[in-house]
Amino acid sequence: MTDLVDSMLDLMRRLPPTRVEENVAALVNICPDYADDLLGSVDQPLTLKTDRATGREYLACDYNRDGESYRSPWSNEYDPPLDDGTVPTPKLRQLEIKANEAFDTYREMYFEGGVSSVFLWDLDDGGFAGVVLFKKSLSPSATTEPSGSWDSIHVFEAAERGRQAHYKLTSTIMLELVTRSASSSSSNAEKQDNGNGKEGTKTSGDVSLSGSMTRQTEQDCPVQNQESHVTNMGRMIEEMEIKMRNLLQEVYFGKTRDVVYDLRSVESLERQRRQRELQKELVGFMKR
Amino acid sequence: MDSAERIQAAAKFLLQSPPGEINDVLNDVRNIISDDDSLQEGVLPALQEYNLAQFIIADVPGSEHQSIISEAAKVDGEEDRFLDPRSKTSFRFDHLSLEASDPQPMEPDTEPEPFRAALESSTLTYLNSHFHEGVASVFATPGSPSKFTVQIVANKYNPTNFWAGRWRSAYTIDLEQEVVSGKILVNVHYYEQGNVQLETTHNLTIPLPPAITPSSPSTSAPKLVALIEDEEGKYQTSLNDAYTEMSEKTFKALRRALPLTRSKIDWDRVMGYKLGAELSASKGVFGESQ
Repeated sequence: MTDLVDSMLDLMRRLPPTRVEENVAALVNICPDYADDLLGSVDQPLTLKTDRATGREYLACDYNRDGESYRSPWSNEYDPPLDDGTVPTPKLRQLEIKANEAFDTYREMYFEGGVSSVFLWDLDDGGFAGVVLFKKSLSPSATTEPSGSWDSIHVFEAAERGRQAHYKLTSTIMLELVTRSASSSSSNAEKQDNGNGKEGTKTSGDVSLSGSMTRQTEQDCPVQNQESHVTNMGRMIEEMEIKMRNLLQEVYFGKTRDVVYDLRSVESLERQRRQRELQKELVGFMKR
Repeated sequence: MDSAERIQAAAKFLLQSPPGEINDVLNDVRNIISDDDSLQEGVLPALQEYNLAQFIIADVPGSEHQSIISEAAKVDGEEDRFLDPRSKTSFRFDHLSLEASDPQPMEPDTEPEPFRAALESSTLTYLNSHFHEGVASVFATPGSPSKFTVQIVANKYNPTNFWAGRWRSAYTIDLEQEVVSGKILVNVHYYEQGNVQLETTHNLTIPLPPAITPSSPSTSAPKLVALIEDEEGKYQTSLNDAYTEMSEKTFKALRRALPLTRSKIDWDRVMGYKLGAELSASKGVFGESQ
């Protein structure tokens, strides 16, 4: 019944992104049989964990989960510990270590903070797949300061074909921005001079922009050695994040704002209508 | 999960529907619950709550205009009956089909009616000059002749281009306490290959100047609506400022457009650095052992 999963995914595309965790949990409760399908196809905000062995932070998601435990990319250990937890083959683990180092450099250069994690796994057909994760949050020092978070989830598959490799990349970026405001204008009250010592206009509120966007791409790249996979994926992910950052900028600060102006106009529409009428009259007058 | 819990979960989903997408959400929920009989009965209270909270609009039977379905429009003691004070008509509203039927004339209270009518006329003028497709309703308060409610809603649904938006504002005007309190709520949904939502709330309290009195509806009502117009204009401008702040500051602070070097990463060098660091680290070890 793929139909049912389609309905669940359509629903998740409509409900508020700020409540994705709560809603996914509710759907899993309604249809426990489809839990894996749902958890595998709906991206949820990444959670921060601390590696017990190294004390270093890493990111947890469905891709490094085994049962109730999560694997750290730094120590390769599961938390809570698992005796038989799935780990990459030694060769792939070597690549995973190099990828974690490289994408940690990338993280520092673009995010100047935050946490990154890379997880790889072997595929049955001889290739491998992986996920590259970044998360950065801004916690405001005051309630009126803006807060926000950025979560990147780049899932890829690599298939070697001789001296080439074919890569498939699916990237999701979750972005949340919140601004709170509060003001009270006493000057207004003075101007109004209502004489009964009442306070002026008071306002408070918040603006929240949140959501996620997903894009896919495929590419063939030359492979000299194992490390080529890291440089190839690095370039692809960098290219994709640059493209998606522009897209997010356009949708978050362009499209949604345009819709607000489609609802209400700051300028008087009546005045605009009159101006158009006047213009028409003038054109008609000049034609005569 | 038993049937009642499933219906409860379904109701929660419905209440989160973005503007203009309640039918899409309902379709998804029907498929997921796959128990139409208990669903239809069970989600009706949620649909009702959603319609009232979201200021869903109804085509008033026998008139050319539309009115707002809300708590303030509810006719006391009669299930699913709502008032359109503009046409002095009450009607039955079906929360599933969103259709209005069975219109009945309803005489307003004589005491607040002149002020309410003046407020309505000013509100409609304001609506026409600032909203592209807005609907407004102005209600008197049964039993409180100096209290009025002004509600405004504007919707734009564009499913072919995957976006929808809703502006709601509601004001309670208390002429005795000389205060207007209200809220403005804006929701925007953009869902082309993604799901991005703008959600804003804005609460405000405005003291009334002494020139506004219940005994002078024709001069007081335009002044009152001018106060609302001014506040809504200021709010829209401040929303613009919030956009600029989020785009210029928060977004940039989360992730740079390019690294400090202003060029993309040289991945061969990134791998090389690590290799170099490893080499020099092992050299150091050798150096110590010598």
